[in-house]
Amino acid sequence: MNAVEIKNLSKNYKKLRALNNVTLDVPHGNIYGLIGPNGAGKTTLIKALVGALKPSSGNSKVLGLDPLKDKWKLRKQIGYMPQSPALYDDLSARDNILFFGSAQKIPDLKKKTDEIISFAELTSRANDKVGTFSGGMKKRVSLCCALIHEPKIIFLDEPTAAVDPHLKLQSWLLFRKLAEKGVTIFVSTHLMDEALLCDKVTILRNGEILAVDTPKKILERGKTKLKIISGEEKKEFLIDSTPKSLAEELQKFGFDKKVSSVELRSDNIEEIILSIVRDKEESEKK
Amino acid sequence: MNTFIIAKRVLSQLKGDKRFLILSIIAPLIIIYFLKLLFDTFPEFIDVTSYTIPISAFIVHFLSFILCAILLVQERTRGTLERMMIGGFSKMSIIGGYTLGYFGLATLQTITVLFETIWLFELDYDTKTIVLLFIVTWLLAIVSVMLGIFISTFAKHEGHVFPFIPLIILPSVFLTGLIVEPSGLPKWAEIIGNSLPLHYAVNIIHEIIKPEYDVSTTYADFGFLIAYIFGLLFLASLTLKETE
Repeated sequence: MNAVEIKNLSKNYKKLRALNNVTLDVPHGNIYGLIGPNGAGKTTLIKALVGALKPSSGNSKVLGLDPLKDKWKLRKQIGYMPQSPALYDDLSARDNILFFGSAQKIPDLKKKTDEIISFAELTSRANDKVGTFSGGMKKRVSLCCALIHEPKIIFLDEPTAAVDPHLKLQSWLLFRKLAEKGVTIFVSTHLMDEALLCDKVTILRNGEILAVDTPKKILERGKTKLKIISGEEKKEFLIDSTPKSLAEELQKFGFDKKVSSVELRSDNIEEIILSIVRDKEESEKK
Repeated sequence: MNTFIIAKRVLSQLKGDKRFLILSIIAPLIIIYFLKLLFDTFPEFIDVTSYTIPISAFIVHFLSFILCAILLVQERTRGTLERMMIGGFSKMSIIGGYTLGYFGLATLQTITVLFETIWLFELDYDTKTIVLLFIVTWLLAIVSVMLGIFISTFAKHEGHVFPFIPLIILPSVFLTGLIVEPSGLPKWAEIIGNSLPLHYAVNIIHEIIKPEYDVSTTYADFGFLIAYIFGLLFLASLTLKETE
């Protein structure tokens, strides 16, 4: 049984079709990405899976349960982090987590709250009012609220939107840690580079699934522009974005025929900036 | 249990929100002082005492309604209402928690408004009358809280609450006996006035302040106010949606 099974799910808002016949399976313990531009139907799909929205047709099962009919059983086992922080600004980070956690009758709630605050690196600000927090910190408190009852699956709706690169990286490290513990992460994002950090992705547009695959396989669907200068000669090729294609192309220029695969991966600008920041921080520590 | 957790959260939120507390406690006291300034300009042959307590009750009614409705709509716009429901709080525990949380604020509002009115207007009422006036104003405040919860279920943002003021609150000023006797109004206007909760509160207050007051004459009006509380509670539980 998969963690999430969706069959022919559609949702209409009057004339607007927000979801169109979506069929999808999400395996346990995966980071599953729902990628698409704004208005693709990502939030609608997540809301249907957490039981906050009644689909127009089709059905879905989360951990084998119907999100609407079995809502009380299901709500004990799922975590939900909405797009907006959905926190009380007048309460401290700790009190927000304690409040949302109290709905689930968690034993040792206070101890678990301290643990999750430390896990999200919020200890120094735990007793400050959330209203004084930055957007990124609010997102971390919101994530703690979604995780406090140790759910088996967590739905994250654009968790890193409007978050700085450093926090974004930290958040994804956190998601990976959770996935390693066996938690299924269902995460939506409109940031295409985040797709690479998922185990599998679904590309959604206008409520329809365009592709379901691993990020690596999706990358291979693209083309790579290859520019080779040999003496005075300058040649440009458009090849498949597979390590095999690159090796084959280079062989035409005398590259060792035994080499069957060549893969290049440059840091993106975000990674470069982060490494500059990290180097600076480390040199300051010394 | 969850009801108490939500009530505790509502109270701590109210305590932490200084602007809200000032608006809900200090603002009615200032308005009543303005009322005193206005009534002081009236010629002496006009007896204003029969208007003071009903108008004070109306101020509590208006503010309790609007503040409760706006706070609940804020829960919706902030996404905390949805999060509470998905997080495992039932809609009855949310309504119950809000009601219970507001009981405290409604009680505080009623006590301060009533005592300021009695003190400012030098109303010479015995303890029994004051206690009864407190009970009726408090019941009206609870009706207002219920009305706020019910109306908030139709609003997607704070601005949606305001059209209900001319629809529900302002007709109460003219049609419920606050200023003129409803019996002098056209039949249709009298029917509208009789359907508004303030009408029953004003009826009771007018009876209570009579020296020859007999509680049995107001049983039906008390009954109507209590019926409003449970009726609105029932309607709110029907209209508060867990799913889109």
